[in-house]
Amino acid sequence: MKKQVRFVLRHVVLLLLAVIWLVPIVWLVVTSFSGYKGINTAHFFPQTWSLDNYITLFLKPDSVVQYQAWFTNTLVIAIFTCIISTVLVLMVAYTMSCLRFKGRKGLMSFSIILNMFPGVLSMIAVYFILKSLGLTNSHVGMIIVYSAGAGLGFLIAKGFMDTISVSLREAARLEGASEAQIFWKIVIPLSKPIIVYTVISSFLVPWGDFVFAKLILNSGISSDWTVAIGLYNMLNKSLINKYFSIFCAGGVVVSIPISILFVIMQKFYVEGITGGSVKG
Amino acid sequence: MKKKLLASLLTLSMVAAMLTGCGGAAKEEAPADTTEAATEEAAPAEETTEAAESTEAADPVANLIAATTDTVSLTVWASEEDHTLTTELLEKFKAQYPDVTFDIKLGSESESTAKDTVLTDVEAAADVYAFADDQINELVAAGALQAVSATYTYDVAAENVAGAVEAATVDGTLYAYPMTADNGYFMFYDSSVFTEDDVQSLEKMIEVADAAGKKIGMDISNGWYIYSFFQGAGYDLTLNDDGVTNSCTWNAEGAVDVAQAIMDLCATGVLVDMGDEEMATAIAEGTVVAAVNGTWRAETASDAWGENYAATKLPTFEVAGEAKQMSSYSGYKLIGVNPYSKNVGWSMLLAEFLTNAESQAARFEARGLGPANIEVASSQAVQENPAIAALAAQAAYATPQRVGGNFWTPAETLGQILASGNPDGTDLQTLLDTTVEGITAPVQ
Repeated sequence: MKKQVRFVLRHVVLLLLAVIWLVPIVWLVVTSFSGYKGINTAHFFPQTWSLDNYITLFLKPDSVVQYQAWFTNTLVIAIFTCIISTVLVLMVAYTMSCLRFKGRKGLMSFSIILNMFPGVLSMIAVYFILKSLGLTNSHVGMIIVYSAGAGLGFLIAKGFMDTISVSLREAARLEGASEAQIFWKIVIPLSKPIIVYTVISSFLVPWGDFVFAKLILNSGISSDWTVAIGLYNMLNKSLINKYFSIFCAGGVVVSIPISILFVIMQKFYVEGITGGSVKG
Repeated sequence: MKKKLLASLLTLSMVAAMLTGCGGAAKEEAPADTTEAATEEAAPAEETTEAAESTEAADPVANLIAATTDTVSLTVWASEEDHTLTTELLEKFKAQYPDVTFDIKLGSESESTAKDTVLTDVEAAADVYAFADDQINELVAAGALQAVSATYTYDVAAENVAGAVEAATVDGTLYAYPMTADNGYFMFYDSSVFTEDDVQSLEKMIEVADAAGKKIGMDISNGWYIYSFFQGAGYDLTLNDDGVTNSCTWNAEGAVDVAQAIMDLCATGVLVDMGDEEMATAIAEGTVVAAVNGTWRAETASDAWGENYAATKLPTFEVAGEAKQMSSYSGYKLIGVNPYSKNVGWSMLLAEFLTNAESQAARFEARGLGPANIEVASSQAVQENPAIAALAAQAAYATPQRVGGNFWTPAETLGQILASGNPDGTDLQTLLDTTVEGITAPVQ
């Protein structure tokens, strides 16, 4: 009897938490199908349902909604950042994990401390450096900013590579393999989980970033924006009443690629994080 | 083999990224060079303009065209709602000067936030941008506005209403081109609920709305609107000569009656404190039948109320048994030219074009915004527009918005406390003293 009460209580608490957690998301999704364009605070579920918001997003761009352009911009930036960051992270991780050189420990501690500083602190400096190079309002500038410090985030990948047996590398070296060959032919094939993890995490940074994007893309030309800035702009007080449900639809759509990426790579993802944490 | 492919792909993409990186930089450098050249050209262009004016020999516009050899690149910032119209106007502008190649980009920046964005980095801001007149002091202080020392096509100071010109002037120098003269608020109402007599007094309106089971909306917890009560009852809020701090008499003798009056009005439950967005929804849904708001809500109200859509000056309200006319802020939207522009001459010409009589008339027709141009404002169509007429009726009781940044937060807090019926039971005099202390606080 007592057991049953506990069971019920536990599940009520869980249910409550789940509801609290899910309500905003459900609201966002149902509002994205609303026929009314503004914020409807009087009803939770929209009174009229329609697909108009999604149609506007993709097929009827106006001066406010240029979703296709934003989506493409964000995707291009995210893909390039992802490639560059992944390469940098793997190279640094390999260096730190498998090579022995003077000052390795010192360099490692230094870069870990450096990585702990929040990036936003350097925002203004980054802006003025980009401006002097003429890279503000350019996607190249953004890719550089997002991927420049990526190498510092090597710690988890390094931890993973530490778990790859040293004897494998020694055997390869005895066979006459160069350092590059060991990296490409021995370590990389064994590091698949951590590569997946690195790809996802470095894709997420530019995909969801607002602060740097807003700072760098300051010309006000809306076709240059990323999704985050474009959606934020719809919340402008003079626009919110005409675009709120489209904003919700945009929010739903932007989460789709990430969700797909996660579902596909989920298995590797878990393996990657836990694998790397065994030995750090 | 697959690995090799991956490896080469990775290297290739890296090389590609590096190449595009360099390419981008090189491309950006090119305009930087021409920039200097353009500035050099722009300067003599201006000189010739002045020379032309002094001798009255040649047309300044012709001089400007003659001095221009390269493509004229300009960036214009207009609010999102103004985009369609501005795009049309820009096309017309280009068509007017067929000999010059233009590269005009239109960015979006709301007039209400232009100052914040411009001041983040004036050099990176647009060449021509629209802003609300209350931002002009800070924009001038930051050197973000080019003085309108000479005009090309029309006399800005003479063709616009005096209030708008005054709003665009700082220390006797004209710094901007008036675009609209309707940035104020008044009363919208549904004439099927209220008669013209009802809307003369707020108490009467509340009575009528209560009987109909409807609400009246006003953004009381917003300094911009709560000002109307205090100023209406004769308590002042002014900007000091330093241009940033305020003087305020909202805690003077008798001001507690005003605070009490606001509380009493809200206590009826009919006058409801609601923000602009909420109000729009409520008007559309029919719960709100009268609202204090501005021309930007005219469309919402006329859509919801149809034929019964009406607007008038703000009503009176009772302070200690005496009826006082509510005051309001009058505001203007202006267009300014960035002095860091590479083509100051063309920017000024474009700003003139965007604010000339024809463009103001087009703006009124397309968006119902009240023109600042005297001729357009006196046209029949403008006179017959209910919102503009209400604004004109309210103008006698309105004051231009000149207030330092420290006003907003304390006033908002005061509004919230009064609208919610002073839940902590704070002594009203103490409450007003605290508010005034916040409003008049020095700026660090």
